[in-house]
Amino acid sequence: MRSRLHTSIAGLRQYAHRGFGHWMQRRIPAARSVTLNQRRIFILPSRAGLFFGVLLLVILLTAINYQNNMSYALAFLLATLFVVATLHTYANLAGLTLHALAATPAFPGQQSTFSLRLERGRLQAHYGLRLAWPDSGEATVNLVTTDSAEVHLYLPVGSRGWHHPGRLLLESTYPLGLLRCWTWVDLDLRAVVYPQPLVSPELVGAQGNRADGAAAAITGSDDFYGFREYRFGDSLRQVHWKGLAKGQALQSKDYASYASHSAWLDWELFHGVPPEQRLSHLCYWALAFHRRNEDYGLRIPGLRIDPARGDVHLDRVLSALALYGHEQPVL
Amino acid sequence: MTGQELLPRNALVWIIISQFALLAPHLARLPVWVILVYLVAACWRTMVHQGRWSYPRRWTKLGLILAGFGAIVASYGNLLGLEPMVALLLTAFALKLLELVQRKDAYVLLFLGYFICVTSFLFSQDIVLVLYSLFTVVLVTTALVALHQPGENRFRPGTIRLPATMLAQAFPLMLVLFFLFPRIGPLWTVPVKSHAAKTGVSDFMKPGDISSLSQSGEMAFTVQFEGPIPAQSALYWRGLVFSVLEEGAWRSLRRSEIPAAETRPSIPDKADETPLAYSVLMTPTRQNWLYSLRYAESSQSGLLSTADFRLFTPVEIEDQFRYRARSWLAAPLDIQLSSWRRRAELALPEGENPRSVQLARDMRATSNSDAEFVDAVLGWFNRESFVYTLQPPLLGQNPMDQFLFQTRRGFCEHYAYAFVLMMRAAGVPARVIAGYQGGEVNPVNRTVIVRQFDAHAWAEVWLPGQGWVRVDPTGAVAPERIEFGLEQALVTEGSFLANSPLSLLRYRGVGWVNMLRLRYEALTYRWQSWVVGFNSEQQYQLLEDLFGSIRARNFVILFLVSGILVLVPVAWLLLGRRQQRRANATQQCYLDFCTLLARRGLSRDPGEAPASFAHRVALGNPALAGWAQQFTRDFNHLAYAHDGLAAGEYRRLLAALRAQLRQIP
Repeated sequence: MRSRLHTSIAGLRQYAHRGFGHWMQRRIPAARSVTLNQRRIFILPSRAGLFFGVLLLVILLTAINYQNNMSYALAFLLATLFVVATLHTYANLAGLTLHALAATPAFPGQQSTFSLRLERGRLQAHYGLRLAWPDSGEATVNLVTTDSAEVHLYLPVGSRGWHHPGRLLLESTYPLGLLRCWTWVDLDLRAVVYPQPLVSPELVGAQGNRADGAAAAITGSDDFYGFREYRFGDSLRQVHWKGLAKGQALQSKDYASYASHSAWLDWELFHGVPPEQRLSHLCYWALAFHRRNEDYGLRIPGLRIDPARGDVHLDRVLSALALYGHEQPVL
Repeated sequence: MTGQELLPRNALVWIIISQFALLAPHLARLPVWVILVYLVAACWRTMVHQGRWSYPRRWTKLGLILAGFGAIVASYGNLLGLEPMVALLLTAFALKLLELVQRKDAYVLLFLGYFICVTSFLFSQDIVLVLYSLFTVVLVTTALVALHQPGENRFRPGTIRLPATMLAQAFPLMLVLFFLFPRIGPLWTVPVKSHAAKTGVSDFMKPGDISSLSQSGEMAFTVQFEGPIPAQSALYWRGLVFSVLEEGAWRSLRRSEIPAAETRPSIPDKADETPLAYSVLMTPTRQNWLYSLRYAESSQSGLLSTADFRLFTPVEIEDQFRYRARSWLAAPLDIQLSSWRRRAELALPEGENPRSVQLARDMRATSNSDAEFVDAVLGWFNRESFVYTLQPPLLGQNPMDQFLFQTRRGFCEHYAYAFVLMMRAAGVPARVIAGYQGGEVNPVNRTVIVRQFDAHAWAEVWLPGQGWVRVDPTGAVAPERIEFGLEQALVTEGSFLANSPLSLLRYRGVGWVNMLRLRYEALTYRWQSWVVGFNSEQQYQLLEDLFGSIRARNFVILFLVSGILVLVPVAWLLLGRRQQRRANATQQCYLDFCTLLARRGLSRDPGEAPASFAHRVALGNPALAGWAQQFTRDFNHLAYAHDGLAAGEYRRLLAALRAQLRQIP
């Protein structure tokens, strides 16, 4: 009985939560830039504001019990100050525009940097604008002498793919701290989460060459590293004759020391390994090649990136791995 | 604790400033060590802020709190009563500074600050104090604002601007609430002032008492007459009737000494006289008696009359008090004197002042009637070399013998004492009356201001067929005291307000100072009647004048309408279009520039950069070349530098740019 009640309450809460989500979605739809207006700003007394209410009550009781008109006047002055403060607190958020700038990619469990720009619409000093995502750290911004400010928020990311941080909280209690004014903005900003790099004992599922990590791979000049498409000029000793015999395309064996030679990170290299693990292995090797400053390319179902090197290339490759099965990255 | 919760230095400075400002009105009431606590707390907290000292440990704090308690008990004797409680609150307020770490500590401190402002009102609601308190409210609010400006790590006096504006915006609605909010009686009893001195005339009079009261220029009460103001010499404000002479001092009859049949006044015949109607606004005396002209009646509830024709209230007057009364100056009092009353008003201690008693009996023997005897005694005072002085010599055993035959220097109480003594010695019922005589007419608002130096003592004698008759023996010695007041009477002695050289009352001769003072007194009177003394009666009157009838609907409508009238302009000011976006304002200016040129046949292509447009203008119309290029340069400067400009600098440049538009060749 109790558990049923429990589940029904949980269900109700979930429903309410979903309902709230829908309502928020209609009220503050996702956008890259959001300007705050009365549709988007919420305002309620803060905890200090409630405490202030108690103070007003105490002053009023003093005024009544001592029949003291000036105490009445002070109680009323502070009460109307509270009313006026709602306008001022609201004005601290109203007219601000939030622009989504960028989110840096990150590995699972690491932090992504989300960058935003906060811009004021009116010539007015804005103080104590606190920005935070539910899981992120927070940033406090003043807009006093400048019209806009860039904000970086660090957010731990989850598993491979897109990371949506949810709605961004922008709040402020300026000027008096008696009222809290806030908004939840969906900035349509998401971060790419790379696969978790996973060491694979060797790059090829075949020959038992030792390759227990990037450090080892650098050592020998003739350490086997992997296969790549045969290119004109490859030594005959490099040709993967066994594969050719099996009817595969002509391939060269790649050796670690052949820095000038490019490698292919191929989906098929990890035959029989579950896809997520494959992606993790590919990620590991992409990083390994990058560290050794060698060319490497990527072949995964539906996508092929020609061998190259450098930071931009690494990002392309890792993003492709990250978004495999989600959607194709816009490259 | 997040970074936002830390206190900016600006906030800390404003908090300390407001603490000292809030302490100031209480200074006179506090022991000196409380001020030291404030100084030590402020220094300590500053040292903590500079990183040189650390916050006090828990045991140190506990020790400080206990020491504070102990010191207050030691200074005041107990913890009950308003003064020790306020002192305790003020000490806690100072010590709270020592645990001011986070924003929430600051909330506690500043909210306490608002309440301390209230406590100063419990002692005085003087207009100057109230204006000062309004200033302290601005200071506390400024500290509250500074608290929410993270990163302001220098003291900025300009922070006060926003809270002052906000309070100014809140003010009109406060007035509406003040006049509309229903006034109800106290809900429970509260601690009252226990350490304030009783002021004014006391219920006990020795020679020298009234002369010391007359050193003070403090206000006793202000009277507003409904009709014309009677002559100065008719203004005898009766407060106390002293019927008992005991151990060299006069006092009133105690309630227990009066038989039940004698407690009610006998209503005099007042048929053929129109009464004087007036209202008296009394400053708090912490005494029960009220001052009135004889014979006074009041229909105000809570006011009582005694058998010796005085008014009093059963409760001590703790706050300013207003009462209305009517007086019949000529009504005969106690035409028939009861035998108990006669005995009481004739009683004299045995064997004191034998020479005075003998003199009185001799003079009565040579007079034909009591009335003639009264005149004889007054004549004797007038003939002999008596001096009216604020600095009478001290008197020892048989004080009146010493006064009448040796020193002959005395103030009103000496003359009243001697006169009543002589009357009683000769068998004429008489008593000493204490109160005030005269008062200053303020021409600004036609009120009579009565001050402590108007304190006076005179006599009443009972004459057959006339009842109680007022006799002022001081008038026989110094008639100018009665006609023109104390200052004139002391002109040769120069002792008027000798101890308060800065009192404005000493400069009544300087025209503009005097006018300023009288205007201030009139303002104070208006303030005290309409603001401090505003009560439900005045509230009804006001609402009836406004609406004709008092209905809940009217309250609501008035409040809503005034709320809208105040808040809409504030919202418009804050959020309205007047404060445009900087970028828009700059661009608008450029668009105006384009419009001007379009009228001259040079229109800018969509998407054409300002610099190339200026170049094209220069080619198309060489006369405009210099102007257009200068404008474009300035516009570009403003458009791309505006982020880094301070608001004032930006406005200056924008205005300069607009000015250029008008200078088109």
